[in-house]
Formats: sequence, C-alpha cells, structure tokens
Amino acid sequence: MTAGRQAELHAALCDVLGAERCVTRPEQLLPWECDALTLHTAQPGAVVFPRDAEEVSRVVRACRRVGVPFVPRGAGTGLSGGALALDGAVVIECSRMDRVLEIDASNRIAVVQPGVVNAELSKRAAPFGLFYAPDPSSQAACTIGGNVAENSGGPHTLKYGTTTNHVLALELVLPDGERVRLGSPTGWPVGYDLVGALVGSEGTLGVVTEVTVRLVALPESVETLLGIFPDVVSACQAVTHVIRAGLLPSALEILDRRTIEAVEASVYAAGLPRDAGAVLLVELDGPAAALPRQMQRVRRIAREQGASAVEVARDDAERQRFWRARKGAFGAMGRLAPDLYVHDAVVPRRKLPEVLERVCEIGDRHGLRLSNVFHAGDGNLHPNISFDRRDADELRRVLAAGAEILQTCVEAGGVITGEHGIGTEKRDFLGLLFGEEDLDAMRRLRAAFDPDGVCNPGKIFPTTRFCMESNPKARGYDRVPFG
Amino acid sequence: MLDAGARQALRNAVGPDAFREHAPLACEGLDLPVTLRPAEGAALAASLRALASRGLAALVRGGGSRLGLGNLPRTGHVLLSTEGLAGIDEYEPDEGVLRARAGTPLGVLREAICEAGWELPFDPPGARATLGGTLAAAAVGPQHAGFGRPRDAVLGLDVVLGDGTRTRCGGRVVKNVTGYDLVKLHVGALGTLGVIEAAWVRLRPLPERTAELLIPAPALEAAVEAAVAVALRPGVRVAALVDGSLAPVLEPAHAPGEGLLLLVELAGDTPVVEGEATRLAEKLAARPASRGAVERLRDLHGDVADEPLLRFRVSALPARFAAAAAELLAAGAGVIAHTATGLLLARFPLPDRADETCVDAAWRAARRAAAAGAGDFVLESAPIWAREARDVFGNASESLPLLRALKQRFDPDGVLNPGRFVAGL
Repeated sequence: MTAGRQAELHAALCDVLGAERCVTRPEQLLPWECDALTLHTAQPGAVVFPRDAEEVSRVVRACRRVGVPFVPRGAGTGLSGGALALDGAVVIECSRMDRVLEIDASNRIAVVQPGVVNAELSKRAAPFGLFYAPDPSSQAACTIGGNVAENSGGPHTLKYGTTTNHVLALELVLPDGERVRLGSPTGWPVGYDLVGALVGSEGTLGVVTEVTVRLVALPESVETLLGIFPDVVSACQAVTHVIRAGLLPSALEILDRRTIEAVEASVYAAGLPRDAGAVLLVELDGPAAALPRQMQRVRRIAREQGASAVEVARDDAERQRFWRARKGAFGAMGRLAPDLYVHDAVVPRRKLPEVLERVCEIGDRHGLRLSNVFHAGDGNLHPNISFDRRDADELRRVLAAGAEILQTCVEAGGVITGEHGIGTEKRDFLGLLFGEEDLDAMRRLRAAFDPDGVCNPGKIFPTTRFCMESNPKARGYDRVPFG
Repeated sequence: MLDAGARQALRNAVGPDAFREHAPLACEGLDLPVTLRPAEGAALAASLRALASRGLAALVRGGGSRLGLGNLPRTGHVLLSTEGLAGIDEYEPDEGVLRARAGTPLGVLREAICEAGWELPFDPPGARATLGGTLAAAAVGPQHAGFGRPRDAVLGLDVVLGDGTRTRCGGRVVKNVTGYDLVKLHVGALGTLGVIEAAWVRLRPLPERTAELLIPAPALEAAVEAAVAVALRPGVRVAALVDGSLAPVLEPAHAPGEGLLLLVELAGDTPVVEGEATRLAEKLAARPASRGAVERLRDLHGDVADEPLLRFRVSALPARFAAAAAELLAAGAGVIAHTATGLLLARFPLPDRADETCVDAAWRAARRAAAAGAGDFVLESAPIWAREARDVFGNASESLPLLRALKQRFDPDGVLNPGRFVAGL
C-alpha cells in the first residue's frame, strides 16, 4: 500500500473509532500477521477494535470508501489461515465485542457478541443446567464468532453436532455496510437458510456481530472409558462395531502409538502403557438409566476387538486424567520440534485403518515425525507433523506429505477438512474434491453477499487451476509474505 | 408458448421415453401440457438448459405430497417430475449413511435400511413422499423432536441449478467444512435454486423400544406448562399437545369436550423408555395410547383430499408457547402444538365456497400467534383461491434483498418454480 493510501486509511478509520482503537503502525501490526497456522503470514493494512455492530458497519463503509478489503478476526486460533489479512486488508478485531447479552434459560438460548470465548459461554450457562455443545480443542481461547466462521467441531460432535447445528440466528454487517438479521431464535426461520450458508463461510460473506445459539441440557450422567489396544486397526474396528451396534457415544477418540509415546514423555503424561499400539477414549452421556448397559456393550465390543484392558473412570479426577492424554496430544507433539503442523481430513469411518496405514507410510517415506490423534467416530483424522521450518528441506517434505495425505483421503471417499476450514492453507486443494461447476455454485453464493469480493479476499477459492505444487516458495509458504 | 419447436427441443433434451404430452394438467393454477420425467442427472440438466434457453419455466415435483406448499407459480410451461430419478446408489450399513436419488420414495428407503437397524431421520406425512421432495420442502412430521431438522441430517447433495449446471456439495462423511455449505441453502428452498438430483443422508439407529402415551390435559396454560416439561425428558420423540377438536382423531374414546390431550412417544434404550413411562404414569396419569396414534397424528400434518382446509405452521419460543396457542384456539383452529420444538400446526376448516373473510380471519390469527410466540408463520396448505392474493410465507423478511440475489444467481433465467418462494421469488 502506498504511503498516501495508508494515511488515507488511517484517517478514515480513526475518524470512526478514534486513534486509540486503530492500529496502523507496521511494528504494532506484527501480532496480526498470522493465525495459528503460523506458516502463512501477511501484514494487515490496519487493525481496528469496534465495540458494536454500528461501529463495524461504519468501519466497513470506511474501508469501502478507501477501497481496502477487510477481514473479521476472533481469537486467531484458526488453523487454516482464515484470519490472515491478504491484500492489505483491515483486520476487524472482535475482542471488544465480548459480552454475553442474554442467557435465556426458559427458551434455552443465548445471545452473544462474536468475541465471547467458547468455554466462557458454557461456564455462564452451567448454573441453569445448560451448556453450549460445540467444544473445539481451543475452547479456552477461541471465540463464538470464530466458531461460526469455521463451523468448528470438537471431540463431542459425533453426538451433538458442530457449530452449524447450534446457531439459530445471526446479526451480520454485509460487505456494503448494511446490517441484517438472519434466522430465528425459534429455529424455524422462513426463507432460504441463510444462517446455514453463513456458518462455515470463513468470514467471506460479512462480519457477524451477534450470534443466537441453542443451549443444551447438561447430561444427567457421564461415563468415560479408556481401552488399550494392540494396534490402531483393532481400535478402529471397535469404533465401527460401536456405531454398528446403534450406540451413539458423545466422543470416540483414538491416539496412536506415536502419540502415546509423545504424551507419556511429556508433562501431559496420563499413565498410559507406553507399549500400547493405540488407545481408544469413549465417552457416553445421557440418562443415568441408560448408561450402565451401554458401558457394558462398549466394554464387550472393545474386548472382542482385542483390547487388553478397558478402564472406566471412577470419578471426575480420573476422567480428567483420561482426557489429559487426548487434549495434551498437540502440546506433547509440539515439544518435539519448533513447529507442529496439525492436519485435518475426514474419511468414511470404515476406511480409517487403511488410510491411517497410508498416512504413516507417507510420513515415514518423507522422513517425518508424524503421529495420529483423531475423532474416530466422525472419521476425522488429525495427522500431526512436528518439524523445524528453518530446515527448508524438511519444510518442503512436510508440505509434500500434506498434499499426499489429502489426496489419499479424497481417494478413500473423504474430504480435505472436517473442522479447520480451507482458508489459505487448502485453497489450492479444493479442486481435489470439487469440479469447476461446484466451485462456480459456491462463487454464486459469494457473489450474492459480496459481489465485489472485499470481505476476507483470497480465502477458500483456488488461486490457480489446481496443481500439486509442493515447492514452498511457489506456494507462498515459508515466512514469505503471503498473497 | 410451448410451440412445436420447443416441444421437439425438450423431447431431444430429456429423451423420448421421458417426454410426455397430455391434455393440459391443472396444477397449482397452471395448465401444463407436457411432463418431463428424466431418469438420469444428465437428462435433467439438459432439460433445464433447454428450458432456460427458450425462456420457459418448470413446475418441479417429487411425489406431490407437498405440492400445495408455496405461492402460486407466476408462470410454468412443463411439469418436471423427479420420480424417474429413483433408487439407492450406495448404502453403508456399517456407517449408517446412504446415498439415494431424489425421486426415491421414503418407504423404499425405510425398507432397505431397517433390517440392519437403521431408520430415516424424516417422517413427513404422505405415502408418496420422496427423498428429494422432503428435502426441498424441509418437510417434517410429528417425530421431528427426535429426528431434528431435515437440514441437519443431509451430508451432501447433487443439485442441478436453473441454468442446467450440475453441481455437488457436501460429501458422504459426517463432518465436513470443505468450502461453502450449499446443502443448507437447497434444503427448504422448494426447488427454486436448483433441482435436487441425489442426496447423502445420515441415518439414525432404530430405537430399541418405543412407547406411545396419552396424558389428559384439561386447561391450556397448565397443559402447555406440563407439555414443555415433558418435552425436556430423555427419550421423548413426540410431545404434541392436541386440542379438543382434534383429540378424538388420536383417541376415539376422547370426547371433544374433555379438553386437550398430550401425545408422547418415547423412543430409545429399554430402561430409559420404561423408566420414563412409569414416571409419566405416576406424575401425570399417562396411559398407553391406542395403537397407531402417532400415525394418525402424522396424517393431521398432511393434506387430506376433499376436505377444504387452511393449515398454518406457526413457530414460537417455548416460554411464549401458551400465548401463541391461545391465539389460534380463540380463532377456532384445530391445534397441534409440538412443545419440544416450538412448532404449532393450526387447521382451520373452510366452507366449500370461496370465502375470503374466513381466510382473512384465520390469517390474522396466525399472524397474532406468530407475534405472540416471537416466531413466524407460513400458510402451508390452502385451496388455490385462498392463496391468490397473498404471500403464504407470512411476514416480509428483512433479508429479502439477499434472498433475491441468491435466486438471481442460482436460477438466472427464472426456470425453477418462478414465483413460488418467499415474496414471489
């Protein structure tokens, strides 16, 4: 951006919010150069901190006048570059819009501003016997607005669904600055399902300024089991049999041998046997009358599929210990090397064993430290690769392996992201799954909301015709300014 | 409008076996001389391209059980039936997912999956209801409290847009954020953005045990309060409060003067169903319903031939449910109130002749009920004359400019059910 344009932008934004809520000096913009996918960076044109929808609307109009794009941002915990400010975009920070506006227990809904932290909402709902179901791993930091943008999931989505199943209504500032309300708190709106289209649109259709969500009753009872398996194949088979038996646990999570080793060598150690081939974590919740029999059935299935031991958490402390292994997996892998690449793809459940075998083979062939921890019930893989980005050759291998993993998942009938989104990370892989006509249909949706492409530009859609390029420089990886 | 040249072009596009000329068929106020019944997606796409290029429009129909839903089409030259697109393409009993063509009747799907212990997550009324039609209409039946909204059970769709572009969205897996979620846009769009060709659906495990119970509920306020509380209990798949005028349909022994009835269906694990049934018997004097009560309730959600009727759907927040129901009852409606989900159905009988004042009174009551419930209302079923002068989707939507932009982008030539949707889109 030229100095003149930059000055014009600064003046326009300060005019709306005052200088104290506009950041434009390059050295101050560093924290907004990336989200949790730190491989991709880009310097925003400015960062602003509006407090309400009216201010967002005025910021958007100011951006339009100066001719600068904009991108909404939650906590920046996204893993696909969705909050990256390309083309000198203005970052609209939602952190000052962090109020829970209403917990309406009698109607089981909550109305929140987009900057409310996910875990905070459940905490506020708990006194009413309610909670907000989607629980991404980053829930202590990530925001509801960010969850809406990415249609975030979490370990309990098998039973409870993802963000899209829980958002009832939205207030949105459109890319022309107009404010509009979509959906209905009753859950039965009239007209096209615009809330459904908005959730998961990665901040490309407008800036969400208020969210009405459904709250769910806290389960009467919860049981957590940990099965120790000789290998990942038998653990996966146990999962298939659990689903096949008509059981619907709230979580079915698997850690492979490499993850177990990393966890047990870290501060997250949960006392798992280090020689286990895989660990299966099962959580059942619901009416107390139903759980004992369901637990028995799960235990029997686990034993039949080769589990050497099945532990049941006796109390909350033990449940926390079981989950510590699962939740600490990323941290444990992260301590093995300076960088961690968390992949995300989904395959039909019964394909898990063969796909995992292929994924490990791909990692080995590229000489990488790759481990797997995944939402087995959903078929949602998270291959983790620890690496050092300063090693150009290793980075090249990481990216090449990632491309092969996505290809493998698509060939198995799967998709290239289950909960992290496309962002910049996977935009050039979208063609693996969708043809030109399919992308054209998505562009029609985009154009209906944002005909000029000013809202979070450069995301989701492929930049070039699809190619399996894995030269980091050519793809704009490495710490090369992006876009 | 449909001259010989256009007919020949359509016959070529859809194929001779799928093209039928007939005496003009009276349908939703149109007289349609031609039916297209493509058996493949390619033929469906070719038909739409042929229509688009000639400025012609289609009335899209699945099994026809919800054909009366929507505004009267502004124009239409052919009936486009999806019933030729039939059959199950893939079924994974281990995964509990299925892909079927749009024209497949739901009954065919149920039969294919029940043996392996699965059930469909939809229960709309109408024996001929198809998969595509159910999704296009987002049609629900009495068990939607257990099944959820149709949009939440669809994993992926094949859709042909108004200009004949064949598209795919979503996928076959249960968790997916790959690109925009266009599935949501097409479910409930009444075929005005595209014609659904096939769908991937997530199935539900068949419950181990079900039980149908009736709870007598004399006064409205107390009845709603009890019904809302019941709806929060585990295993409740139906919690429908039915007023005195409809109660005898569920329970022949119930006289209209005896007040309201709450029909509860429990479904799930045996210990839960038995425990809840005992609890409801002790606390609220629940007794077993006579056989088939849920089926009979389902029929009340659909259209009955030869019975002139207005049927509204009104949505309300739980805490405002009693107020919404009271408005409808005061206006003389037969009311079914789904307290677990916030949906009310109101059935107003009509005289045989066209009587606008009757419709007006019912319309105003539905609007008052929606306002009292902080929800919306839709006139779901009505004779043609009663729909001529109004938008059956009730209150004008503040998102209308967006709806219009979407229609314009997805069906630029106005081929698909023009005029049928909200505000005549």
